[in-house]
Amino acid sequence: MTIEAPVVDETQIAVEPARGPWDWAMKNLFNTWYNTLLTLVLGGVFVWALVALVPGLLGADFEIVRVNLRLFMVGQFPVDLLWRPWLTTFLIAILIGLMAGSIAAGARDLAEEAGLPYAATTFRQILLRFWPLIALVIIILGFTTTITPTLLTVAAASLGLGAYYLGRAQPRWVRRWTWLLAILLILGAYLALAGFGGVGWEDWGGLQLNLFLTVAGIMFAFPLGLALALGRRSSFPVVKTISVAYIEFIRGVPLITLLLAGFLALGFLLPRDLRPGFVTRMLIAIVLFESAYIAEVIRGGLQAVPSGQVEAAQAVGLPAWRTMRLIVLPQALRATIPAMVGQFISLFKDTTLVAILGVTELLDATFIVNSQPDFLGQGLFVLTLAFAGLVFWVGSYTMSREARRLERKLGVGER
Amino acid sequence: MTPQSVYSDATRTTGDAIIELVGVDKFFGHFHALKDINMSVGLQEVVVVIGPSGGGKSTLIRCINRLEKHDRGRIVVDGVEVSDDLRNIQEVRRETGMVFQQFNLFPHLTVLDNVTLAPHQVRKLPKKEAETLAMQTLERVKIPEQARKYPGQLSGGQQQRVAIARALAMQPKVMLFDEPTSALDPEMIKEVLDVMVELAEGGMTMIVVTHEMSFARAVANRVVFMAEGEIVEVGTPEHFFTNPQEDRTKLFLSQIL
Repeated sequence: MTIEAPVVDETQIAVEPARGPWDWAMKNLFNTWYNTLLTLVLGGVFVWALVALVPGLLGADFEIVRVNLRLFMVGQFPVDLLWRPWLTTFLIAILIGLMAGSIAAGARDLAEEAGLPYAATTFRQILLRFWPLIALVIIILGFTTTITPTLLTVAAASLGLGAYYLGRAQPRWVRRWTWLLAILLILGAYLALAGFGGVGWEDWGGLQLNLFLTVAGIMFAFPLGLALALGRRSSFPVVKTISVAYIEFIRGVPLITLLLAGFLALGFLLPRDLRPGFVTRMLIAIVLFESAYIAEVIRGGLQAVPSGQVEAAQAVGLPAWRTMRLIVLPQALRATIPAMVGQFISLFKDTTLVAILGVTELLDATFIVNSQPDFLGQGLFVLTLAFAGLVFWVGSYTMSREARRLERKLGVGER
Repeated sequence: MTPQSVYSDATRTTGDAIIELVGVDKFFGHFHALKDINMSVGLQEVVVVIGPSGGGKSTLIRCINRLEKHDRGRIVVDGVEVSDDLRNIQEVRRETGMVFQQFNLFPHLTVLDNVTLAPHQVRKLPKKEAETLAMQTLERVKIPEQARKYPGQLSGGQQQRVAIARALAMQPKVMLFDEPTSALDPEMIKEVLDVMVELAEGGMTMIVVTHEMSFARAVANRVVFMAEGEIVEVGTPEHFFTNPQEDRTKLFLSQIL
């Protein structure tokens, strides 16, 4: 696990006056003999890789991905129950649309109050903002063999768009209750996927499992991590000791160990009736692990808030916990965005580790399909890995972009 | 204005005492920061505390609203003793506004939200009323037009005036100023001092730690000289600037005037 490297601030990079590409190359690539050598060698490697890989990937027969797409997406999920993940997708599309609409309406009202101009987000801006994600969806749909997934995806996008306009049109007093609706939608999405008898956890797999573990992992690990970070700063010795011991213990153990230990211990120690399901056990291990790291990230943010902030809040009579909630935490959490998102990206990629428990998550699925009789020994690993790599890259890159956007947006009042 | 006369005794006041310190001691580890401080401040009185740095001036006013805990003695603000009782501390803080050297505005909130926060959260005023009050207060410090900006977008002088407004919005009975102009560029000191002078003339009870002797001359009822954790000399501004008695006072004044 690593904390993300500091994000480069683009505004800090000096803008060179516009000149011809030849000047630029002479100045930056061929200015000394060793730079010239470096340019030639690295350029050669780059061109060779391009020539070797791109025609191979572009011209390749992606039959192996096409045939196994469902396995990559949802693992062994029963075909007659595929309406469940689709229903979940619909509900989440509505959730995202609704929240985005409410946020946009909030920004519009704020701008109106302050008498500032407000420009609604255009379709083009959304395309520019989410192009990697949109491109990925189109590529995946390109691998489908029937029209149904495409139709369902279009339906989900339409629902999301509809929810966006609905969210934006809400009167203010309705908007104050949107969070309640959001919780209902999240609950509904979960129930659609796993509720009412549902599907045995054992059948979960593919990208669906990676996404579920990431989202649920963040949702549960964040509050726990926050509690641990506050506990570590607590003036009660017992709370403090427990928090420190927990954080330091968990951070000293690799995730694989915890996954195995949590998996086996929870499986063997608890009586059969109380034994949590397969995915739940993985989730518990991931949440225990992530929360310790998130706690340390938040602790760093808490330390970055000057003591004068607390004193100023105390001086106007704000009680301790409201000082924490209204003054310290907003500033601390803003300071932690880069490290926190780095942590979330790590978690997204670490969900592939559950493969050691015998679950077919996306990465594992892209390996095992190469053992299928039709594709055995044909060296198609490159294709399937490229597919898995693309999916993980788009997910991570989108998170990273959104984080930087959020940082810029919240940086408005920065000192 | 309050009646003027020469006081050489720090415990005497110009009216009903609103702040009383009796035998206050404060230690930081082994360092004796406040030594047996006896002082009382009357209603509507303006007390200016001067002295060399490290002399305990800031510690003194920070003990009054419990940003620091005193180790011995009694501190009473408007009839409420500053003790370990959280309710007492909250009550004292509600009645005491404080302005810091480094402003300490909340950078993630707009100017208006900075000023509205305490009346809304602590005094429990409805949001709308708190905002009206905040705007009135911002007018008092002459920057209502900056209400929608963030502190980081303002100059130091403007930020300090917002900080004064934030304290005033709680409608405190006492204002404590901890070197309010020390972090400001010279050209901004006046705009802050002007606000403070107006406040003093409006009858606010104030304790001001400052190096601005012009302010002391203009509005102080009493000047308190502190050094090495002790109150060395107390008197009217005239007494201080024309006829100081103690050697340490003379030395200090000769260094800064």
